[in-house]
Amino acid sequence: MKNIRNFCIIAHIDHGKSTLADRLIQRCGGVAEREFRDQILDSMDIERERGITIKSNTISLDYRAKDGIEYQLNLIDTPGHVDFSHEVRRSLMSCEGALLVVDAAQGVEAQTLANLYLALEYDLEIVPVVNKIDLPSADVDGVLEEIQEDLGLDPFDAVQCSAKKGIGIDEVLEAVVTKLPPPKGDPEAPLQALIFDAQYDMYRGVVLLVRVKEGTIRTGQKARLMHTAKDYVIEEVGLRRIERVKRKSLEAGDVGYVIAGIKAVREIAIGDTITDSERPAAEALAGYKEAKPVVFSSMYPISSDDYPDLTKALDKLALNDAALTFEKDSSVALGFGFRCGFLGLLHLEVVQERLQREYGLSLLLSAPSVRYRMELVDGTEVSIDNPALYPDPTHIEQAYEPYIKASILMPERYIGAVMELCRDRRGEQTTFSYLAVGRVELTSELPLAEVLFDFYDRLKSLTQGYGSFDYEVLDRRPTDLVKVDILVNDEPVDALSQLVHRDKARGRALHYCERLADTIPRQQFKIKIQGVIGGKVIARSTINPYRKDVTAKCYGGDITRKRKLLEKQKAGKKKMMVVGSVEIPQSAFIAVLKSDAGS
Amino acid sequence: MSISPGLYLHVPFCSAICPYCDFAVTTGGEKRRERFTRSLIREIARDHGPWKAFDTVYLGGGTPSGLGDERLGRILEAVREALTIGDGATSAVVSIEANPEDVTEASARVWSRLGIDRLSLGVQSFDAAELKFLGRRHDPVEARRAVEIGLGAGFVVSMDLIYGLPHQSPESWQSNLEIAVDLEPHHVSCYQLTVERGTPFAKQSRQGDWAEPDDDSLAEFLYLTHEFLGAAGYPAYEVSNFARAPETQCAHNRKYWEGASYLGLGPSAHSFDGRSRWWNQRSEAVWQLKVEAGRSPEAGRERLSDRELALERLMLGLRTPTGVDLGALGLDPSDLLAANRELFERFTRENLLRIDGDRLIPSLDGMARADALARSIEF
Repeated sequence: MKNIRNFCIIAHIDHGKSTLADRLIQRCGGVAEREFRDQILDSMDIERERGITIKSNTISLDYRAKDGIEYQLNLIDTPGHVDFSHEVRRSLMSCEGALLVVDAAQGVEAQTLANLYLALEYDLEIVPVVNKIDLPSADVDGVLEEIQEDLGLDPFDAVQCSAKKGIGIDEVLEAVVTKLPPPKGDPEAPLQALIFDAQYDMYRGVVLLVRVKEGTIRTGQKARLMHTAKDYVIEEVGLRRIERVKRKSLEAGDVGYVIAGIKAVREIAIGDTITDSERPAAEALAGYKEAKPVVFSSMYPISSDDYPDLTKALDKLALNDAALTFEKDSSVALGFGFRCGFLGLLHLEVVQERLQREYGLSLLLSAPSVRYRMELVDGTEVSIDNPALYPDPTHIEQAYEPYIKASILMPERYIGAVMELCRDRRGEQTTFSYLAVGRVELTSELPLAEVLFDFYDRLKSLTQGYGSFDYEVLDRRPTDLVKVDILVNDEPVDALSQLVHRDKARGRALHYCERLADTIPRQQFKIKIQGVIGGKVIARSTINPYRKDVTAKCYGGDITRKRKLLEKQKAGKKKMMVVGSVEIPQSAFIAVLKSDAGS
Repeated sequence: MSISPGLYLHVPFCSAICPYCDFAVTTGGEKRRERFTRSLIREIARDHGPWKAFDTVYLGGGTPSGLGDERLGRILEAVREALTIGDGATSAVVSIEANPEDVTEASARVWSRLGIDRLSLGVQSFDAAELKFLGRRHDPVEARRAVEIGLGAGFVVSMDLIYGLPHQSPESWQSNLEIAVDLEPHHVSCYQLTVERGTPFAKQSRQGDWAEPDDDSLAEFLYLTHEFLGAAGYPAYEVSNFARAPETQCAHNRKYWEGASYLGLGPSAHSFDGRSRWWNQRSEAVWQLKVEAGRSPEAGRERLSDRELALERLMLGLRTPTGVDLGALGLDPSDLLAANRELFERFTRENLLRIDGDRLIPSLDGMARADALARSIEF
């Protein structure tokens, strides 16, 4: 056990986490050169394309250190994005130490700080790694100073490297061996193994990624998941190399995989503890926390024929994504779909993209919403994340909306603009502190709903890309909520209804009206588009009718061609939503709703 | 509606291809034109089954006027030999499409002698710059002279004009119309410039060399055309066609719009017998090989369902001020009226059409939206 090191790499996005992982794996011969590809631990296309990690992963490496001893290094790859912080937490719980990567040119960023705090919460030993020292713009001394000043870490512990160029990789590995502690635990104690993630394998079902804290887990053992209180027979255990390597058992201190005939990720709870059915541990490991969706949106297939396929695809996706929730939903305008819950906007985008890419589905998503809590006058309480279910306003005593605490790091010169942005987004308790000369950390308590609506894009553009953003969900606070409906020729378009703060209602409604006016093609009559609260019009736009729709030439005997064109148009017309006798093409919904997600 | 079918003969040759044209056309020297003429005569002489008598003959293209008077003579002679033109009591109307530069006193005399009695002149514009843009080979003076020669030689004269050119102002379009009516032709066709796929214009427009006028301007042109020509004594009998008198309407084209039958010969020509439509090989070479081998040059055929026939009737009928006889759609008119009650009420309210017994009669506003109306009606 003293020759094992369990560690993870934490970093702000783009600071080189995956590249460093790649180099460590290559240096340890964890993968044959010809099988190597960049971002090797990220198996999904979308991870590789966007350079992000969504799922946790782990790999066991053999490393012969300078002291001549062969070490087993278990590298646990964690997602970097705030949407997936619950996954990060569980990964951290499986480690004794962490490499904290800081870009030598960018310095300490919001997620560097957020990740460090998280790691410290779990008592991890931290080794700072200054990466990208080969860049002309690298300021190693400046970054070392930040490591001391902003992070409170010893700059003399820091390892300098360039993962891209392969400089300093041995030093990083030596630091892992010498500076990070070995795991503790008793292989004879009652079994406690933390499930820190799970993957779905087409042939084997769910593959649990575990960290054995106490005891031993063996093939054939009868084991119980403590939270769900379900018993399973352990079919197989082993280490994760690039492929799975079977072993007879995993002992305290080991990180590896467990296969136990589990059909879907949904069946289990990530963060649960595996124990022995006959000799159970007294208590479960801390770590189980339900991943609660905070962002909700309805998904509709663009072609209603695809509805069964969407159902199947979501079921499949859920095998591997326990945080995704969905239930049947339907819209007058868009037909049958699903109301889905996500951990955040990135999670939403990832799910949408996977459905489109891996399952070939064309989807339309309604405006993302948070979950509001309403106290009704009759004393009951309801949670609403779907505008369609919004109660009669006269029945609502008080509505509450979720708030987050945003942490924004940026050069000092942008502070005015960003404070203004936070104010505009109904930020409270907005304060800032200097991290170093010229660099500030601004914190603000913002309604989550305000962050969903292109906040990040605005921040990026206001700070010319220098601002970084991180958040944690706080609590629910009283709010003055209204339901804005969009009417087309006096008929509501249910998919465009939304719950908004009263102060934002007019602006949002106007934005929708204008977008629709731009995207709905002219028709035979004047089209009136209105944004309303209850019966009160707060925004409007109109589309003038076209005055001409006729083919100029219709001579020569080729009537067939003209008729076929007309038949095609007639069929296309059938596919359009008709609201208030106005034909609304899918593209109008896409244009309106897309601008909402800030993309 | 005339009972006898029409005969269409397609002559695919032009001296140059206009950049907006997407018809089956080709340039081609004397040899090819001669070989084509022989093949067309061969196709005319084939057994056309029940197709025997025709009351209209239409030489279209292409530019039939550029084929050569001697060849035109041989073609029409072959037609008269193999088929009956006219019903004995009245002679058929024989039309030819002609480019202004081909119209001379001499050719007019020859065409007259060949029994051609209607000239459809590809004038397109009386503005030199517009003609240049359209890639036409004549100038405004030739255009006027062609009309005058045609009228002088006793032809029923029609002219084609094109509107909706980039940068064309309503004033410039109106001056075209003024010149046109001053020449007192019997008939005017006014077509909106349509950028068809695969034409040089499509490429130019895609590259941003010029932009097509927006919908509102085009609507303005269309209304201006109808108002101006109506006031000048040329009421519309189809959305793009205007005639001084019912007798000078194009009887052949009306067959297309009224669902009458027609036989088309020559490459790409379409035929229709009231139920089926078939069409010849579009390529002149392939058409020719088939004809020369004694085989049918037919390239495709469709038998129209009742619904398809009805849709065509609606689509075409709504382009004409006489409208559509719902009783002639092969559907129960009362069912159709019931199924579209709300729609027709709205159309009526908005003065797009009126319902007169079983007849849907579009207003000018309705004709200007004929495609939209035809798309909306459920049956």
